[in-house]
Amino acid sequence: MCNLPIKVVCRANAEHMSPSGKVPFIHVGNQVVSELGPIVQFVKAKGHCLSDGLDEVQKAEMKAYMELVNNMLLTAELYLQWCDEATVGEITHARYGSPYPWPLNHILAYQKQWEIKRKMRAIGWGNKTLDQVLEDVDQCCQALSQRLGTQPYFFNKQPTELDALVFGHLYTILTTQLTNDELSEKVKNYSNLLAFCRRIEQHYFEERGKGRLS
Amino acid sequence: MPLSRLTTPASGGAPEFPLLRQQSANPPPLPHQAPARPPLQPPPPPLFCFHGDRRRGAGSKHNALWKTCGSGGPPPRSPGAGPSPEWPRSSPGHVQLGRSPQNKARRPRSPTPRPAPSSGVQGSPRPRGPDSPRRPWLAAASPEARDPASRRPPPRKSCAAAPCPQLPTGVAGGGAARERAGARGEVLPGQRAPKMAAPMELFCWSGGWGLPSVDLDSLAVLTYARFTGAPLKVHKITNPWRSPSGTLPALRTSHGEVISVPHRIITHLRKEKYNADYDLSARQGADTLAFMSLLEEKLLPVLIHTFWIDTKNYVEVTRKWYAEAMPFPLNFFLPGRMQRQHMERLQLLCGEHRPENEEELEKELYQEAGECLTLLSQRLGSQKFFFGDAPASLDAFVFSYLALLLQAKLPSGKLPAHLRGLHNLCTYCTHILGIYFPWDGAEVPPPRQPPAGPETEEDPYPRRNQILSVLAGLAAMVGYALLSGIISIQRAAPARDPSIRALGMAEEDEEQ
Repeated sequence: MCNLPIKVVCRANAEHMSPSGKVPFIHVGNQVVSELGPIVQFVKAKGHCLSDGLDEVQKAEMKAYMELVNNMLLTAELYLQWCDEATVGEITHARYGSPYPWPLNHILAYQKQWEIKRKMRAIGWGNKTLDQVLEDVDQCCQALSQRLGTQPYFFNKQPTELDALVFGHLYTILTTQLTNDELSEKVKNYSNLLAFCRRIEQHYFEERGKGRLS
Repeated sequence: MPLSRLTTPASGGAPEFPLLRQQSANPPPLPHQAPARPPLQPPPPPLFCFHGDRRRGAGSKHNALWKTCGSGGPPPRSPGAGPSPEWPRSSPGHVQLGRSPQNKARRPRSPTPRPAPSSGVQGSPRPRGPDSPRRPWLAAASPEARDPASRRPPPRKSCAAAPCPQLPTGVAGGGAARERAGARGEVLPGQRAPKMAAPMELFCWSGGWGLPSVDLDSLAVLTYARFTGAPLKVHKITNPWRSPSGTLPALRTSHGEVISVPHRIITHLRKEKYNADYDLSARQGADTLAFMSLLEEKLLPVLIHTFWIDTKNYVEVTRKWYAEAMPFPLNFFLPGRMQRQHMERLQLLCGEHRPENEEELEKELYQEAGECLTLLSQRLGSQKFFFGDAPASLDAFVFSYLALLLQAKLPSGKLPAHLRGLHNLCTYCTHILGIYFPWDGAEVPPPRQPPAGPETEEDPYPRRNQILSVLAGLAAMVGYALLSGIISIQRAAPARDPSIRALGMAEEDEEQ
């Protein structure tokens, strides 16, 4: 969205390379910056900012909605991937451990699962059932859908960081095949969110050629 | 993968997930659809609901219903607590039967009693139509409300269906409640019984530092209950082991079920028709969710850090309060355990990757929290509450965070100072505290400072105790010495006796 030239590289140990333990991170010159927030600030410091046109109240709302997405969608995705037994067994373990040889793939997968479960318990999601999680996702999507309304982007004409974040999450939810499609069904219920995703994909990804999409 | 895949149903490759509940074979009624068809699963999603014109009769009598125990009895709430009593309350027990529609004026707590029956009949169809598209957010926002307390079928439908004669209902249902009300000491003629079963009981941490409760979650739940006028029996306790769920806050519903997650408590209250978000538009509802997430992400870690991790604050304020408040054996280990739990929670919230250097961590946290407060202040602007003139659930949460920061006298902390610089937030807090918790400012002082009376009296007591203990010590030593023969007086006594006897005999001789 900022028209910055990037090269996407996939690595199995990306998490461990990152300074904060989280992906994504960017490597620019001799600097490594991880996670969306710091990356946005870094890019802003270099002079590209998407939310310059917003006033203070709108910026507050944007931050709030970004937190909402992080809070609900991200946690729900983690839950579904790691705390839902069927998905874990069939998809996540296999996927997470795939770059590693035999004993390591199981060990690392279990370790990650244990970590995520601990985190879920700490934030109170440990006792939630899948349906409650799906309800939360639905609620979140509804909030996003209402906020988006009929506008092309969340803050009218120009895309902002919120649009990028929402697109990232929704696109992943919609296009990842899991044993359980409830999550993507929930998102599909909101037609304006679907249209939003499609619009961004067409506008920013397909124009530049399919090669950009990893 | 292009999104064109989306046009074809994705069910081709994915098997039906076994964990799916059978009921969700049909998707639950979407919130934005008018809940015209009956819900397919026992716990119906829509809760929200409107209604509830919770009207109360005389204010002062109503107050007694609240029964805030544990603080020296409910002080006579007469004029001071003016606004609070007037909150209307519905008869949740009889959701299907007469409920007068929610009116906007309910919130500003205007005491004008509406003609309940007529408005009920006319008004009941009203909320359904225009409001259901407006309030899908609210309807869906009961994620966790799957407890069996949702045994009632969606009240909205039945309300519209029934002609809602409220008085007869009041008479019928009110009879039982009136007995209960009578047992509690007031009878409000024409008031419908709040519950068929026992009233809801809320267990929460007791008050301190000028606040009705010192714990964040308890305060939020209490504030929400005050906003909506829910008839809760509030137990302010200091021993979490005595609460029904082992943690505080905990709500025991009228059916005996215990809920202890604050969001679920609020959802339950909403289901019981005590809904402070009734008048919010869909967009405002979405904003509420977003801002609550913001609070949890940015302010909560800092609050935990300020109260529990920062050593000076912890020792001088938090631990002191908890240790003094808790009963005997618990005050030795529970505060420490709570601190460890909070520390772990903070670590998990912030992430394990954070710099080990505590100062950097602190700086980052405080910076984000400061930004968050500034954002809140900008959002609030000069309004009385976040969404206009009436408080909503977001106000309850924001108030609980801000009040703790403002009221607790923290020796070290940049955040309270930053907060004090944001004047509209401070006025907002004091405003809510003054209106909804007017006596709590007075509750705390009486035990603590009838003008420094107890404090000055306490000094002589220690002095007296010191003197008494010294005397007791002396007596013990002397007694021990006597008993063990270190000092003996007996030899002197017989020595004296013969001399006395001798004298006596001499006197006798002389007399003779």
